[in-house]
Amino acid sequence: MSEKSARQASISTENQTGGLTIIKIGGCWRIDQPLPSLNFKGDNVKIVNENLDDFDSALPAWIHYNFKNVRELDLSELPNRLQSLVRLAEKNTQWKSEDEKSDLLEKFGVWGIESFGSWGRAMDHIGQTSSGLIRTLIGRSKVNWADFTLQLQTSGVDALPIVALLGFLTGLIMAYVGLIQLRQVGATVYVANLVALAMTREMGALMTGIIACGRTSTSFASQLGSMNVSQESDALRALGINPVEYLAVPRILAVTLMIPLLSLFATFVGIFGGMIVACAGDLSIDQYLNQAIKAITFKSFLVGFIKSFFFAFIAAWAGCYRGYVAQRSALGVGDAATSAAVLGITLIVIADAIFAVIFNLYNF
Amino acid sequence: MDATAPILKCNKLSVGYGDVCVMKDISFTLERGKILAIVGPSGCGKSTLMRVLGGLDEPMSGNCELLGVDLSQADTRVRETTLRQSGFLFQGSALFSSLTLRENIEMPMREFLKISSSQIRQLAEYKLACVGLSDAIDKLPSEISGGMAKRAGIARAMALDPEILFLDEPSAGLDPLTSERLDDLILKVRESFNTTIVLVSHEVPSILHTADYCVYLDSDTATMGAYAPPKDFLDPKSHAKAHSFFSRAVTTS
Repeated sequence: MSEKSARQASISTENQTGGLTIIKIGGCWRIDQPLPSLNFKGDNVKIVNENLDDFDSALPAWIHYNFKNVRELDLSELPNRLQSLVRLAEKNTQWKSEDEKSDLLEKFGVWGIESFGSWGRAMDHIGQTSSGLIRTLIGRSKVNWADFTLQLQTSGVDALPIVALLGFLTGLIMAYVGLIQLRQVGATVYVANLVALAMTREMGALMTGIIACGRTSTSFASQLGSMNVSQESDALRALGINPVEYLAVPRILAVTLMIPLLSLFATFVGIFGGMIVACAGDLSIDQYLNQAIKAITFKSFLVGFIKSFFFAFIAAWAGCYRGYVAQRSALGVGDAATSAAVLGITLIVIADAIFAVIFNLYNF
Repeated sequence: MDATAPILKCNKLSVGYGDVCVMKDISFTLERGKILAIVGPSGCGKSTLMRVLGGLDEPMSGNCELLGVDLSQADTRVRETTLRQSGFLFQGSALFSSLTLRENIEMPMREFLKISSSQIRQLAEYKLACVGLSDAIDKLPSEISGGMAKRAGIARAMALDPEILFLDEPSAGLDPLTSERLDDLILKVRESFNTTIVLVSHEVPSILHTADYCVYLDSDTATMGAYAPPKDFLDPKSHAKAHSFFSRAVTTS
């Protein structure tokens, strides 16, 4: 029938004795046209044809939606094709085995098991990673050197520009804030102490750790998650190769080697950034450098170095772990990358707080 | 379009990828409401041919009319309108993994239909009920089985009430029972919606059960070997390679 002559879809309702409701449908029912709404309460319905012109799946969809919970539904006076379309959507027992619905208690149980399971998987991954690292370090396991060198490049050398920029800006900001406050008590010379100590003990390692989470953890999670999707991890397992040892160990080794070096680099660049602000204010270069050298001790460097080593391990492990347990879908890979960054940063901040307490207790 | 006009018509079609022609001289006509199976040895170009028939790729030469429109010659607007009247199920189902099944079905409706959200919801629920997925409506593709993903893919392909459905290996990777149920679903969809269906399959029992016509692609000559109802290929007097393909599969099964 032509588009122009098509009448709008219409319904009229008639209540009969004995609780029967007769619904008369007419006009043209198309998926691209608005349909009449129905406010209906009843258990016994008969739908009849009253000048029904044309219909597509809009009409069976409307009937299915509005009458799916009705006890008695009589469609016998409707065209056969329409009856067949409505029947197609009727609950089909043949698929039931696949589509079983879970109740609230079952969902709670599944949640509990999954939560417990995720802790178990994390512990298992830490165990496998640690044993892999130990086996590698004592020479009982081969390292995937190709992966190792590639990761030295991507997680280390390639990160230099961003580490330099963020380290420089961190030093600069600290010096700026410090200068304003110390000027009030006439102690601007101590801005060098502030920047140098903060960068060596704290900010160099912390900033580099956070950068590693943003760059490296997410990258590892995506790489390993994609390998999960394409069943490469299964292929390794099938070949008798432990995927954690083969994939995670070279990555973690490379990162724990490069991040402390990057942290050192960030420390010096940060001190330099502080010097720019200090010298633009009240200090000379000589004054700043002398004061900074006096402030920094070997202990300060050691503190920063120990921290950066642990932060590097955390960032690399978080990426490898989230990638290892990623779901096998595009969404799963995306989720793995996000959760790797979140997990890495959270653990690094927690570890930093623990270090602060420990170093304070031992007066380090 | 005239209801009696062929819904798909190919004339001396050649298909391939890049500069490589994998199949040439394909000519056939398919009427409305029929099911066509494309069969042939692995790597012979079945999926490539179906992508061309469905307008996803350009033919290398010859022409193919889908719903009376030669897609390689049509302007973008006509091409898009015609493609909207066809639905595609890809081998891996290609459900959008960040959307629930309902959202997957609703997506093309929201894009092309100017109707209310509640009406879109009605349609999506109906389409999912048609493929037996009412209980999985709010699940993500990662939370369902392969068979369910295929059915959800069919529901999405049916979202806009297409005139023709292209199904690329609908039963690949499914167990025989689920595969048989899927065949029944394909027949029911054809019967209820009068939809024309083109499917690529390797499974001869399934083809014999569902298809009205069958295109056999001969990989040795890189041409269309035969075009006939699938049961005809069980006859030893039919196309020799097609007969060998069908009879071997039937004997094995």
